[in-house]
Amino acid sequence: MDIAELYTTAELAQIKLEDSEVESLGGEVSQMVAYFKKMMEVSVDALEPTTHAFIKKNRLRPDTFHPSTLADDILEQSPDLEDRFICIPNVL
Amino acid sequence: MTQQINWKETLADGGQKAYIAEVKKRDALVGSFLEFDPPRGKMARPQAEVQTTEELAGIPFAIKDNIALRNFKLTCGSKMLAHFVSPYSATAVEKILAAGGIPVGKTNMDEFGMGSSTDTSALGTTSNPWDLTKVAGGSSGGSAAAVAAGLVPFALGTDTGGSVRQPANFCGVYGLKPTYGAVSRYGLVAYASSLETIGVVAREIPYLEKVFNTIRDQDEKDNTTADWRDFSDPKEGEVTKIGVLTGSLGLDPGVAEAYAQVRQELLALGYEIVEMQLPMLDYAVPAYYTIATAEASANLARFNGIRYGHRPVYSENPEELVQKSRDEGFGAEVKLRILLGTYVLRSGFQDQFYLRAQKIRTALVRDFDKVFSQVDGFLLPVFPTQAFSHGDGGLDPFQQKVADKFTTTANLTGLPALAIPTGVSGGLPTGVQFMAPAFCEDRLFGLARRLKSNLTLGEPPEFPALYAGQEGRS
Amino acid sequence: MRYPTKYDSFVGLEIHVQLTTESKIFCGCRNRFGDEPNTNVCPVCMGLPGSLPSLNQEAMSKAYLVAKALHCDLADTCLFERKNYFYPDLPKNYQISQFAKPLGTNGWIDIVVDGVTKRVRIHECHLEEDAGKMIHAGDMSLVDYNRTGTPLLEIVTEPDLNLGEEAEILIHELRRIVRYLGVSDGNMDEGSMRCDANVSVNTKGAGLGRKVEVKNLNSSRFVRLSLNYEIDRQTEILEDGGTVVQETRLWNENRDQTIVMRSKENANDYRYFPEPDLPPFRTTPEFLADLETRIVELPLDRRVRLVSTLGISQTQAEVIGEEKANADYFEKVLEYGADGPTVATWMTGDVQKLLNRTGQSAAESPLTPERFAELLTLMAEGKIHGKIAKTILELVFEKNKNPRVIMAEQGLEQMNDSGELAKLVSQVLVDNPVAVEQIKAGDTKPMGFLMGQVMKASGGRAEPGMVQKMLKEHLG
Repeated sequence: MDIAELYTTAELAQIKLEDSEVESLGGEVSQMVAYFKKMMEVSVDALEPTTHAFIKKNRLRPDTFHPSTLADDILEQSPDLEDRFICIPNVL
Repeated sequence: MTQQINWKETLADGGQKAYIAEVKKRDALVGSFLEFDPPRGKMARPQAEVQTTEELAGIPFAIKDNIALRNFKLTCGSKMLAHFVSPYSATAVEKILAAGGIPVGKTNMDEFGMGSSTDTSALGTTSNPWDLTKVAGGSSGGSAAAVAAGLVPFALGTDTGGSVRQPANFCGVYGLKPTYGAVSRYGLVAYASSLETIGVVAREIPYLEKVFNTIRDQDEKDNTTADWRDFSDPKEGEVTKIGVLTGSLGLDPGVAEAYAQVRQELLALGYEIVEMQLPMLDYAVPAYYTIATAEASANLARFNGIRYGHRPVYSENPEELVQKSRDEGFGAEVKLRILLGTYVLRSGFQDQFYLRAQKIRTALVRDFDKVFSQVDGFLLPVFPTQAFSHGDGGLDPFQQKVADKFTTTANLTGLPALAIPTGVSGGLPTGVQFMAPAFCEDRLFGLARRLKSNLTLGEPPEFPALYAGQEGRS
Repeated sequence: MRYPTKYDSFVGLEIHVQLTTESKIFCGCRNRFGDEPNTNVCPVCMGLPGSLPSLNQEAMSKAYLVAKALHCDLADTCLFERKNYFYPDLPKNYQISQFAKPLGTNGWIDIVVDGVTKRVRIHECHLEEDAGKMIHAGDMSLVDYNRTGTPLLEIVTEPDLNLGEEAEILIHELRRIVRYLGVSDGNMDEGSMRCDANVSVNTKGAGLGRKVEVKNLNSSRFVRLSLNYEIDRQTEILEDGGTVVQETRLWNENRDQTIVMRSKENANDYRYFPEPDLPPFRTTPEFLADLETRIVELPLDRRVRLVSTLGISQTQAEVIGEEKANADYFEKVLEYGADGPTVATWMTGDVQKLLNRTGQSAAESPLTPERFAELLTLMAEGKIHGKIAKTILELVFEKNKNPRVIMAEQGLEQMNDSGELAKLVSQVLVDNPVAVEQIKAGDTKPMGFLMGQVMKASGGRAEPGMVQKMLKEHLG
């Protein structure tokens, strides 16, 4: 994988690549991508993809609400709170 | 006849103190726990409410740190979640609590389950109780080491590509990867959602079985669970014919020897052996890593330092906040897999990688349909090597991945698999695994039980059983 | 449009409709607008590690119901997928949505533009989860996740619209439809219906031009204004020999114009892939049968029927048919034998005024359909005349009693006994000699005055026709 592709991918993944990481991570990514290309040896044209292991009956939940008893515990995990809002630097 | 350990009595009053002291002493060497706090574990449920009639009454157990237990941390072995406390418990954990089990702590693991050594954990090192210079395997290394060192009779792990079976194999204990959908994943921090399940590590077969029977169930909170009652085993757990994977398997001598020995024992026990091959085996690992990293790239996107998790000291705007959080919070292996997964899903690459991998998965499912149309169970190795050394002396990260070829098949197909210890070679445990058709875990327990009578398993010399007596016999 | 003969304009809409359910689409948190921030949240909708989505049956039913009402082909298997992008209001940083297999495709909606029906094709309908909300305050942004996980139906039209006005009409019609179906309140002010648009302009006959997306359209008026602004802007660029830039623009309501949205490179590779946590949904005969019981006559069909079979005016049909409850009420009154045009006149006139005053809907007011019909019957039977009917109508609202009872209690029944009326008329003539003289002298102007005096003397109850006849006899 060339450097430009690596940076595009990192941007999509919101991972900032430090200069020191580019070489090592880039090398490992390329090694794995090359390994993935082994899959080209198999003819898969006649096959449907498997996305779910054992497809069964529909799973639907009845539409009833439950009180949100964990809301306060969840908010406690946030690094920056203002009243009940979660704070981040402004989106410009 | 040996006395069975009464854990409830053993852990009453003074017994608990002695237990805690001994575990702490042992774990100072092994490093299996990230958080060990039996008194807090009991707070999950008042001791008075525990009925001795319950299946797991008073029995201490450990939980891999990517499975939620209310009021305990849920770090996933990552700096990202080093301070995250879970406000809720996983469904599987709730079920064990309801059966009387006592969670004593959370065990170390490869960061977010990504690794085969537990060495990618950002929060501690776990060593193999059989030889502290060796790894315990991974990613559920902490759970396997805790069980092998006698700290708990059983522990929960998770298996995405072999993460219960391989460390169980390295540490000489049993490791069950149930059928996909048999056990709820609610509360398991997702790495690769379509591949992983919560599994069980135990030193004794009855615990394995009891715990599995306790945690398996359809769950309203996990739409991918199925009711095991809808999938009854036509053979009712009976196994007569066993398929054995043959061909050039590339096993280390100790592993190959154990594999051959088990085959002999199976014959001696009267099983019919059928030699078999899996045409898709060589493609299992690339397909596995394509799918696993693709799913991981989305599953780990939620970690951005906003609602919880690592937040950088300063950031000018939200984008910088998110990028710094992820840059500082994730280790190298996690970043590698996120990048890979993002790449294989990108438009222009998705058909070539992700879609192709899902089709290879279909081909592998067909391989196994064919296998189980001919035999009742399937024998294959767990890992090509025995426990390897920490650091540079061991396998490099790429070699570790390629070595997942025997374990990933069960994850790609969703089938149940059980890693079984078979003995000791060169001071380290050896083992094999069996696979069975979906929801036929009983066949695996039966096979393990029959084999055990013909094998000498032993225990780590430095870590004999904590208490005299047998565990889990009932 | 500036150059109507030289260019074609094409507008397509993406309309997001929040579905009204008790709980959110993937968890049991309450689906409700306007609560304290971050109160209706749980591990699932906050994207906590380890949480999983669990699909709400009612969200699925309501989504399919709208697709059915929009004449879509209903997918027998639909699939949720993950749409991957980072944004602080999106907890998981992927949105569970539908992509390759949406639940409805290939439908249409009819709208009436200047009296002519226009059919707009629906490309697809798909179900997804809503994101949270951000409030920008100085150098901080405050995030509230109450809205995350609200079931959101996205309806995508083909670019079959040509003007802002048509888009506005479509939005109004869609709002009526979702309200008729009882699946959403369609309220753009509270964001329960939101709209993005795409616009292109090209030389006449040359097909679609370069597409510009317009966002931030939070009222139907802004939709109209922004689209017309864009059509003009793009037309002008073409007229000057330029090329329209394919981009995303925002409507700026303070400046009444669209402005370019800051765009990031690589922004649009959403890397959709099947949501592994949700198995594909397959429609069952029971599910489809349930939809049949929930589908209703669509608002436009109903308006057409009211006009064509009941003889009411287009305007009346629009007022009565705006809300399903009103139209149902109207037809209920007719079931008691009342005449369509009369009911329509009263309903859109005096009844509406009273309802506005009391702030009630017709269905919840003291004027039950039965009472409404009874009031009209009293008129038809000659027991009361129009003015008294209005008095009784007000008393029905005030006293919550039947019109016939009020008429009897208040003694409001019309006087049509000729003997009694003759006495009243004679007395009035005696009391007003000047007027009588004037009329006799040929000036008929005071006739109305005398009429009024007789009505006054009868307490408004005298049958006006008879009074008039008697006066004429005396003075003729």
